[in-house]
Amino acid sequence: MNASWMQWVRGIVTIRVRGEGMEGLVNRALAAGLQLWSIRFASGGELECEVTVGDFFRLRPILRETGCRLHVVARLGLPFWLVKVQRRLFFAGGLALFFVGMYLLSSLVWTIEVKGNELLSEEQILQVARQEGVFPFQWSFRLEGTEVLSKRLTQKLPGAAWIGVEKRGTKITIQVVETKNAAPKPLLNPRHLVASMDAVVTHILAESGRPVVKRNMKVRKGDVLISGIYGDAAHTKTVVAKGTVKGLVWHEYNIVSPLQRELKVYTGNTETRWYAVIGGRAFKVSGFGKSKFAAYETARHMEKVTWRSNEMPLGRIKETVMEVRKDNHSISAEEAKATGLLQARADILAKAGSSAEIRAENILHEKTDNGKVYMKVLFEVEQSIVAERPLVYMQGE
Amino acid sequence: MRRFNRKLRKMAADLLDLPQDVVFDLPRLTMIGDRQLYIENHRGVLHFSSDRLRLALSKGELEITGQELVIRTIWTEEVFVEGQIKHIEVRDME
Repeated sequence: MNASWMQWVRGIVTIRVRGEGMEGLVNRALAAGLQLWSIRFASGGELECEVTVGDFFRLRPILRETGCRLHVVARLGLPFWLVKVQRRLFFAGGLALFFVGMYLLSSLVWTIEVKGNELLSEEQILQVARQEGVFPFQWSFRLEGTEVLSKRLTQKLPGAAWIGVEKRGTKITIQVVETKNAAPKPLLNPRHLVASMDAVVTHILAESGRPVVKRNMKVRKGDVLISGIYGDAAHTKTVVAKGTVKGLVWHEYNIVSPLQRELKVYTGNTETRWYAVIGGRAFKVSGFGKSKFAAYETARHMEKVTWRSNEMPLGRIKETVMEVRKDNHSISAEEAKATGLLQARADILAKAGSSAEIRAENILHEKTDNGKVYMKVLFEVEQSIVAERPLVYMQGE
Repeated sequence: MRRFNRKLRKMAADLLDLPQDVVFDLPRLTMIGDRQLYIENHRGVLHFSSDRLRLALSKGELEITGQELVIRTIWTEEVFVEGQIKHIEVRDME
């Protein structure tokens, strides 16, 4: 029964012995060096025991000597199994073929994954890998070591700083780390820098190109500030003019500022509406119908049922409807003037850029009429006055 | 002469504190509950049935009675018996 696998390999025969000298048989068998095990008494005065196939044949002469008779009850183990296999050759062949096929299929490379590439295309990397023998349906044992592969791939792909090859089962992962290059500078046409508006130059700095104007010079809109042409009439070279030019610019503003200010006031009258929240939906429970207020604002406040910091999908919403009234507030002329100027300054800075500075402001004219303050204000602003003008070659002359 | 030999052996065994089974060629029985019995130093099977097993010893015999006795394994000097063991009797044949 509990035979070891060695005995299984040699083949186990269960026999039944009949006869007088069964004890003598056991003793003699032991003396001859045979091994019997699981000796038990079967029904009908027979002795049942198990022997290996080799010992079974050596038991024959002892049987004759002791006058016992024997018959085989069961056969078990590799030799008998092999006999069965011989009878079912195709089945055995299929079994062997299955294991061979399993081994062969698992030693193929099935998939190749490329990771970490952005600039290099996957096809490009796979093509280089193919040259090194890494491609789908390649035999695993024909591949070189992953370290060798990663070194060679790195040599062959100049766009990659490092390539790691990892083989896991039937999958190969190629991890790419690309070299990082600085972003290329945008290509620019040769150009002049010209004045975008009438101004007095306060500051000029040319990075490239030839400065044409100087400080305190008055320029008109379209005048060249920094020229993109070097050299004299005979020998010229065009460049991209670069630099900063600032100038004083005058802006005239007509400001109209009302003497009344509209204010939003809550009257203190409120209505409350309740909603029940189930899941992601809210159902109105109270406060049906139109609001009796002509103008109102609503504020919502949601409460959810919580239990130990776990939120339940249940809750309620309180909606407060607050009545709003619009009041007109009359303000003094001084105040209206200040508001108007503030708006005008904000408008200038928005138009001229954040680097602009208001140097001076002059109120030229001021009158109060029809509940409004009318003003004419001159702002002196120092701001960038640069505009680009491309250099166009005249052809055909 | 044989008597003297035996006496000498006993003396040596007492003096050197040797186990008796080594010196006198006696059987050694190891029993696990009432279900397993391991006998060393036997001299062959005299009788075996499902309720009785008689083993020859160097001197005398050993009778084991019980139910559903099975000789799990047997070698020339050792037996491993399984089953429900009720009774073990050592008979001296002198």
